Amino acid sequence: MTEQTVRESINEALAEELERDERVFLYGEDVGDYGGLYQVTAGLQERFGEDRVFDTPLSETTLGGTAVGAALTGTRPIMEIMFGDFLSVIADHLINYAAKMHFNYTDDTSVPMVVRTTYGGGDQFGLHHSQDPIPWFQNVPGLKMVAPSTPSDYKGLLKSAVRDDDPVIFFENKQRYEVTGDVPDEEYTVPLGEADVKRSGEDMTVVAVGGMVDVALEAAESLADRGYDCEVIDPRTVVPLDKETILDSVKKTHALTVVHESATFGGIGGEIAATAADEALFYLDAPVKRVGAPFTPVPFAENLEQEYLPDEEDVETAVVEALEV
Amino acid sequence: MPDDSERTEIHEYLLLNRVFEETVLEVYEDEGIPELPHLSMGQEAVGVGATYALEDDDWLAPSLRTRAVMLMRLSIRDVVTGMYGTASSPTEGRVTEHHLGTSENHILGTTGLVGSHLNVAAGAALSARQLDEDRVTAVFFGDGGATRGEFHTAINYAAVEDLPVVFIIENNQWIEETPASEVIAVEEDISEMAGHDLPKEVIDGQDVDEVIETVSAAADRARRGGGPTLIEAKTYRYRPHAEVIPERRDEAEIEEWKERDPVEVHRERLLDAGVADEEWIEETRAELIEEIEAAFEFAKDDPMPEADVMDKVYKDMDVDEDGGVVR
Repeated sequence: MTEQTVRESINEALAEELERDERVFLYGEDVGDYGGLYQVTAGLQERFGEDRVFDTPLSETTLGGTAVGAALTGTRPIMEIMFGDFLSVIADHLINYAAKMHFNYTDDTSVPMVVRTTYGGGDQFGLHHSQDPIPWFQNVPGLKMVAPSTPSDYKGLLKSAVRDDDPVIFFENKQRYEVTGDVPDEEYTVPLGEADVKRSGEDMTVVAVGGMVDVALEAAESLADRGYDCEVIDPRTVVPLDKETILDSVKKTHALTVVHESATFGGIGGEIAATAADEALFYLDAPVKRVGAPFTPVPFAENLEQEYLPDEEDVETAVVEALEV
Repeated sequence: MPDDSERTEIHEYLLLNRVFEETVLEVYEDEGIPELPHLSMGQEAVGVGATYALEDDDWLAPSLRTRAVMLMRLSIRDVVTGMYGTASSPTEGRVTEHHLGTSENHILGTTGLVGSHLNVAAGAALSARQLDEDRVTAVFFGDGGATRGEFHTAINYAAVEDLPVVFIIENNQWIEETPASEVIAVEEDISEMAGHDLPKEVIDGQDVDEVIETVSAAADRARRGGGPTLIEAKTYRYRPHAEVIPERRDEAEIEEWKERDPVEVHRERLLDAGVADEEWIEETRAELIEEIEAAFEFAKDDPMPEADVMDKVYKDMDVDEDGGVVR
């Protein structure tokens, strides 16, 4: 094991996949010589050359469309969309193209592309550079969405995403690039579609997405001091969802709280809650709680943004409220 | 210049397209067809010429009106069953033949959104470069598609990267039921909207030989690393945008274009050159009608697909119909 930041683990995953498969290439705005706005691709152009790692126009439309075309015809593009907010520009290519071509082809052709993008608030970047766009795409059959939390998961899941034959949106939380953790030294991947139990517990299942996993884990530590033993589950792949791991946990703890950074209304938490209601209702001894953002754009002022973002206190409040009914 | 046997082959493709759509229209008006026909009658020379000019492993991204790509790269039966969505249809009824993709026949899948395939075609050309493959991608779109941002962004990227793409505007003068001149701010040639540094050719889309010559030259240049070409073929459709839409164009305008009918233009040229005679043309037409009618009979008797064909959403994961991963 080596301690690495999330940024380093992503960079290493990209390097390993570029090394492993000649069909893989990496492109986007400023990803080449500059190394990407967040320096995630630093050094990769120097190592793999301008043929494999290169800059594009600012046009997301160009990136979205060419990635689909390149993926349909024998290559495995990885593109960087600088901010997840800008996925709206390529929504057509993701929703109507990438997600549907396997269905639309006469044969086994698919769209093995990866969209790497950043998401999340906390930098006072305002309403167009801070969103969590996961719910925009959760209702699109054919897309896969991955939002890891630890450095080792970031690396292992990204490597799986590159090798996957379906289109994957890979969400990188802006606040977590500097987070460190142990990463295996040997070659490994983390499979898509498998949730991970990050903390075992008996009283409450907390399903937390992406950047909210750390928030839920910290809340779980405080709650433990207060006598509530939480199990924290990280779905890792948000769509399609590993429902089995979540339901197994709910059947054990008899309670469920979901946490994500996007608005509570219309979020993936509602789907997870509905799944529990549908398939594990009589195991539940407490109301299901959803912790997310209010139904407003991400605000700019520091205090407002902090108010907007779900935090440990919000998770603790929800868990206690549910268990004290 | 194509030799004599190539010229008769080209004429056969023109006839195939024309007779096919005449049959479609007849059947549609008589009894209906599940796929709403968007007929290309009048502008067949563009699709036929371009498809003919390219190699089998070149990728083609058709517009909603490039029927020729489907008819020249799929069997007639595939196209007809595709219109009916039956069990034997190429995608087993998942989608109409209109936008399907097939890697075997190098037809790039498209969508029902006009113009969304331009950057996708540039991407197919990008993969040729990445894989060092000697193939070209041709993308067809109408004057309507040229008004989208896709047009500017795809041409810009293809030109700056010298990607092997041939952009082909089937300029049929009308965007659904609106004259292109009312919504496009250029005087004459809509290819002028692209101020980018790339070769542009404005050609007679009613002349299949001119289409073949221009597309061949563009494809050769692209294959040699010379980058993309923008070809604008002036043409016209005889039918409304889709059969359900009432016609609002002047009958006189339609009749005027029919005087330069692409099938007739080529037919007269063949007859004048003594390459084919009336008898051969009539025999060929009769054979095509027979084959097309047989395909319609087959499609009408073909069973409808089973529900499990819909289970083709993810290639690499077993997912149930509620979006859950199946272990």
